[in-house]
Amino acid sequence: MLKKIFALIKKDFLNEASYKFAFIFNIFSVMVSLLIYYFIDKLFGYKMNWHLEEYGINYFSYVLLGMAFFSYIGTGVGSFSARIHYEQIQGTLESLLITPTPVYIILLSMGLWNLIFATLNVLVYIGTGVFLFKINFSHINILSATVVLILTIISFSSLGILSASFVIVFKRGNPLGWIINNLEGLLGGVYFPVGVMPAFLQFAAKFLPITYAIRAMQLAVYKGYTLAKLKNECLLLFFFSIILLPLSLSSFKFALKKGREQGSLAKL
Amino acid sequence: MSVIIEFKNVSKKFILSGFPGQKMTVTTALQNINFTLEKYKSLAILGPNGAGKTTLLKIISTLILPDSGAVEINGYLVGKDDGKIKSIIGLASAEERTFYSRLSGNQNLEFFAALYGLNKKEIQMRLGQLFKLFAIDYGDRRFDSYSTGMKRKFCLIRALLHNPEILLLDEPTKSLDYNSACELREYIGRLNNEGKTVIFTTHNIEEAENLCDLFLILYRGEIFGFGTKEELKNKANSHSADLAEIYLKLTQNA
Repeated sequence: MLKKIFALIKKDFLNEASYKFAFIFNIFSVMVSLLIYYFIDKLFGYKMNWHLEEYGINYFSYVLLGMAFFSYIGTGVGSFSARIHYEQIQGTLESLLITPTPVYIILLSMGLWNLIFATLNVLVYIGTGVFLFKINFSHINILSATVVLILTIISFSSLGILSASFVIVFKRGNPLGWIINNLEGLLGGVYFPVGVMPAFLQFAAKFLPITYAIRAMQLAVYKGYTLAKLKNECLLLFFFSIILLPLSLSSFKFALKKGREQGSLAKL
Repeated sequence: MSVIIEFKNVSKKFILSGFPGQKMTVTTALQNINFTLEKYKSLAILGPNGAGKTTLLKIISTLILPDSGAVEINGYLVGKDDGKIKSIIGLASAEERTFYSRLSGNQNLEFFAALYGLNKKEIQMRLGQLFKLFAIDYGDRRFDSYSTGMKRKFCLIRALLHNPEILLLDEPTKSLDYNSACELREYIGRLNNEGKTVIFTTHNIEEAENLCDLFLILYRGEIFGFGTKEELKNKANSHSADLAEIYLKLTQNA
């Protein structure tokens, strides 16, 4: 089993490495987007101060962590559907499924590679924040941040797998991909604290796992909150995880069965 | 000799447009298919485009599920024992895009060999054998830079990596030049002589006649003939020994 996982990850690495400039451009685009928010902070950041009091940071620090974490979620765990779609475009999905490799191994390896790639992305954000913009991460509570990260990965992997199921059955028009990439970014407190929004949007944000994930991560990193202090956020993320994970796995199994019934696994 | 493939009343339809509950356009890919194939035989599936040839191969390879009926591969049931079936079949698809185009030929084959459960040493040994068999001496080029003939060879090699008992070939000589097609036919013949059960689809009746013991004639999802050339000749009441004429006679009233 481990050999198969290693082979799948190695294949993804070799494929990614064949796009020589992509990673370098990615670093530049991270730096440019951070610079944009840096100047926005210089101009209007003071207006956010009272919303950020509980985190004890300025707007730029808030948005840097929000973007890094959201990129982790988006690139890392929200991109199952993109990976499945890529295999369909390449015509390799059937080639994978014809080997005696269980589907959960294929999914697990996709998830692992996504996380490795996303971690590199986050390191660029954090590295730029520390070395270029002198952001202070010294208060971080590593245990809390790790637990929040793991719970977030499980919740969002599940959403990612659900979204991949849509791609297998409907090919395009994947509503979950849109929710992960847009709605969560808007409502979840990635670019600004949830408190900035009108009351009805704040209410809607309560139903999204990212709201709790971002808040808990900001508090664990900048305020050093312990798990006891983050109990509510962690419990809610745990609740999302135990509902979404079995739902997503069974939906993926169902989608593959549908694809085999319709003979559409290799179709775009 | 023991039976390795058995189709029992297998039917398959595809929805072309519409949703259940609405007006749907449905096409019948296979209708009430029954046949058995013994081990070590070679079978050519003949029929025009849309006859159901690829659907039949994909059902054997577990990529498509039948709507009704049962398919047994070496005693294993499609839809139930898929893992076991996958380890005894090798499929060379007619599609060109089934490899990772930005990886080299070697990298692709090493990857798929690992998914078939081969270890590093076995992979090197097997690739060495297969590269020799198919006379390939450059596997390190990017896959999308190979000619169509080379891509077909890689397809066959991938299907053979785990030394499967059954080899499924979907139009193996499609879009190949004359020389490459002859070369590939020679390999296929050799593989059957070495004890593999070979099933392949083709439009080329001459090719089928040269390579196979048995023929299955599919037309609009139905079997119009199955057996040796002699058996088909009797069924068609044909005086000719030419398989092409027998084929035409069997399908002319369809």
